[in-house]
Amino acid sequence: MAGPLAKYSLVNAKLRARISKILPDRVFVQLARAPSLEAALAQLRETPFARLDEIYSATGDLRQAELELLRDEIDLYRGLKGHLHRESVELVDALLCQFEIDNLKNAIRVFFDRVVRGRPAEASAHYILYEPILHDIPMDIVVNAQGFDEIAGVCEGTPYSLIIRKYSHTAESEGSLFRLEIALDHFYYANLLSAIERLDRRDRAIAERLAGVRIDLQNVDWIIRLRSFYDLPMETVLAAIVPGGFNLSKAAISELYSAQNVTPILREFVKTRYPGLSALLSSQVSDSVSRLLLIRRIMEEIMRQEVQRILAGYPFTVGIIVAYFVLKKNELDRVRIVLNAHQQGLQPERIEGLI
Amino acid sequence: MIFTSRMTQLFAVVLQKDAERVTESLLGEGVMQFISTSEIGEPAQHAAPVCAGVQASLTEISDLRKRIEGLLHTAGVIPSPPSQMDLTRRAAVDLEKEKGLLARLDTERTTIRERQRELQQEILKLEDIRRQMVLYGAGLSDITASAPQSFIAMQTGKIAASSASRFEEGLREFPSVSIPVGRERDSVHYLLISMKRDAERVQRVLDGAGWVSIELPAELKSVKEDAFQELSAKLQTLADEQKKLETQADDLVKREVPHLREVWSHLRVSELLHRIQTHFTPVSRTMVFTGWLPAEKQARLTEAIRRASGGRCHLEWHEASGRDPLGDEVPVRLDNPRVLAPFQMLVSNFGVPRYGTIDPTPLVMPLYLAMFGLMFADVGQGLVLMSLGVLGLVLPRIRAAGRGWHQLSWLIVWCGLSSVFFGLLFGSFFGMAILKPLWFDFHGIVAGHRSEGSVVNSVFDILAITIYFGITVIGIGLLFNWVNIIRTGKWAELVFDKGGVLGAWMYAGGIYVAFYLVSHDYGQFPSRGRLLLLVGLPAILLLLKEPYHRWRREGEPSASRTNPVLAALNAMMHWVVELLEIFSGYLSNTLSFMRVAGLGIAHVCLMVSFFTLAEMTSGIASILLLVLGNILVIALEGLSAGIQALRLSYYEFFTKFFHGTGKLYTPISLDSEG
Repeated sequence: MAGPLAKYSLVNAKLRARISKILPDRVFVQLARAPSLEAALAQLRETPFARLDEIYSATGDLRQAELELLRDEIDLYRGLKGHLHRESVELVDALLCQFEIDNLKNAIRVFFDRVVRGRPAEASAHYILYEPILHDIPMDIVVNAQGFDEIAGVCEGTPYSLIIRKYSHTAESEGSLFRLEIALDHFYYANLLSAIERLDRRDRAIAERLAGVRIDLQNVDWIIRLRSFYDLPMETVLAAIVPGGFNLSKAAISELYSAQNVTPILREFVKTRYPGLSALLSSQVSDSVSRLLLIRRIMEEIMRQEVQRILAGYPFTVGIIVAYFVLKKNELDRVRIVLNAHQQGLQPERIEGLI
Repeated sequence: MIFTSRMTQLFAVVLQKDAERVTESLLGEGVMQFISTSEIGEPAQHAAPVCAGVQASLTEISDLRKRIEGLLHTAGVIPSPPSQMDLTRRAAVDLEKEKGLLARLDTERTTIRERQRELQQEILKLEDIRRQMVLYGAGLSDITASAPQSFIAMQTGKIAASSASRFEEGLREFPSVSIPVGRERDSVHYLLISMKRDAERVQRVLDGAGWVSIELPAELKSVKEDAFQELSAKLQTLADEQKKLETQADDLVKREVPHLREVWSHLRVSELLHRIQTHFTPVSRTMVFTGWLPAEKQARLTEAIRRASGGRCHLEWHEASGRDPLGDEVPVRLDNPRVLAPFQMLVSNFGVPRYGTIDPTPLVMPLYLAMFGLMFADVGQGLVLMSLGVLGLVLPRIRAAGRGWHQLSWLIVWCGLSSVFFGLLFGSFFGMAILKPLWFDFHGIVAGHRSEGSVVNSVFDILAITIYFGITVIGIGLLFNWVNIIRTGKWAELVFDKGGVLGAWMYAGGIYVAFYLVSHDYGQFPSRGRLLLLVGLPAILLLLKEPYHRWRREGEPSASRTNPVLAALNAMMHWVVELLEIFSGYLSNTLSFMRVAGLGIAHVCLMVSFFTLAEMTSGIASILLLVLGNILVIALEGLSAGIQALRLSYYEFFTKFFHGTGKLYTPISLDSEG
């Protein structure tokens, strides 16, 4: 059985070099303060995101540029697989699954808008990745489908077929893809945790912890969205929560969603595991959405600390792969947020607040 | 050079009517780091608040300057800092007019981008169809029978010529290709390719245009094969139009670059002048300002201010000393010759020395280079490093990357030079011991050969050299620490600090004991009397540290009364811990320098390994192996040596005396950033 050094030495060196190129916070502040979208893109010329500027200059289409970025990122992960041990390949496949699921969700949304809601969806259809990511799903058929059965049919042989069949009627009757999309996201995390289970003891502990923190952040993101935009009842919210969080159990989330004062709920694990974040707990906020945003901020800080812990620790573990995935996703998300905010004409101060 | 530059503080009062000219001269000289007058005490009785108007103007000017800068960046232009000429010939900028220009450019460019987006949507729609044609075939053998799994629908028909434009307009929102294939009286025949999913909506458009489905006459059926080419041609046309629009957007800004550059320059000068004026405090009919500058610039600045104000000014100077209670507030200027710039960069990366303390840059150069050379001694590989460094200095891409890369390139040149020097001392050329060593045969020793007539005969001798080196470096660090402490007048610290007299006494004693032990084959310690004098006595004297500090604090109101027994126990604990820290710290710091020998030996061993491997092959393979081996060693060992030398400098040397609490001197000048 290969030892940690054999498994991770090369990928560790590769990914650490890539991590060193991840844009630091001050670059994002400068991007946010750029006077226009064009100026922000010009700042990215000397970074690994130079292609964004090239594509935008050539097409005027920011979404097109982002799609290219996504393609590059997926190619990177696929390229990484060639250097990995078998167990780690399964983990990377599980991580790649997120891109495939997001892509499938986008394609299903195009179909749904067109067929169920009767709305034109031409523009969105152009921003689907039609090439295979993990499974060879013909996205053309999904986009052009006339019914959910057709979509489930072309997804046969993939884990998504059953989910689509299960929730298609609900989607049609409710006129909303909410439950189907939640189910797909649940599958992603379940698949990820399952791949983590197959790692050796040390890698498993590291990956479980980071995945658990990621799940916490996802859950908080959801309850913010559900509270702000939908104001759903507790049962629906709890059904949407992904199990497997590291710091926040289902009970804790239920309390966070409804509590007036969230400090006591968070204090327990913040004090013991992340004492440096205690100062954030003392922030005074009044309304429920602001409370949830504060929780989100704390969760993001926790994620940052967990990643730093991994990077500062023993280098030859699966942690480097998961940490890179987290950091890179965070970077891509922030770049998208800043550029889209500029395109919408938001003020620099507001943009800084978003990132 | 060995200490931070002497700084002096200026308090100046000038008449308000002279403020503008004085501001210009301050910017022209560019030597003053301003202090807000509110920082230095209560505002004067008749002081007015800092002009809100000045602050507002500064914000407006700064915003406009950044907008223009952003625009220039999109055209790939990075404006250079303004010059003295820009200062003297600056003109007022009509802010509203320039904002209008920027707004016009923004609007024009937005229009172009909108058009680009529309075109892009057209392109994507056609590419959608083309993808279907490629994936599933277009049923080209029979126009009506496209492949069943295809999502494209093909049909032929005719419409009235007068409805043609409405027909084509109606189809624009769908991915579709409509190819006119012929005319018949006042009807136009079309081949229409669209997506099956849009069948209903397309049919509504067709119905609206009076579409009549027909079979194409035989003579026109040949155009079906042209459908794909027609599609490709349309795509090409759209792509060409996209390219034109892209060029148009670029040219839009490029046309204005000369004007924008000039305006940027005027704005930048104006911004800096306003920034200086935000530090002025108006008092009655005068302006008061204060700040720090290097003492050597005092005469020149005095002359400049007197000239600008026509002698109507009052200037007071106060030179800062290291003992100044505001020592941490005095900005620090590291004034070293340009040749030391790469090493100043290494020092600044660690921190900024406190004002009045030693600037270690002049010593970092020989120490760093000596450590690097000892670890990476080879004439040939050193020359390669020097070449790489020179390449970094001349390559435009690296030159444009900024000062940091420029300094790094110089550092590599210096490291290469050191490597060449030590390579000559040890007689190594690309890993081959073909040169006559000027000092000792490093290769021979590592290979196990005794060198007759040489002081250095074994690996242990090499290790000893690095130990001596380490002791020297630590000793210099301690000396620097004492100098710094003396300059700040903290006498107790001089005695009791870990790097103070007692600490150094114990270190020196420890060195003597260690060498005595080694020279007596680890069988004998020095006499008790000597041990007591060298190690015991300073250790006992260190016991006085806590009682001394307690005695000093006794008179202070905040001093708390503690139980004397507890205080004594506390003092004992502190003493024990401090002794442990001193002994273990100095021991580990000294032994740490053995890595220099270790890496040097590893360097030789790696080259020996490659030569051994090369001997197992022959011809081109052998040469290739040696070349690759040298490349690997230069890359890995070079990086390793650089990092280890830096680590030793930072951790073993700097920590003895360096307090990076200083603030860097950042005057407002024409070169200022931000």
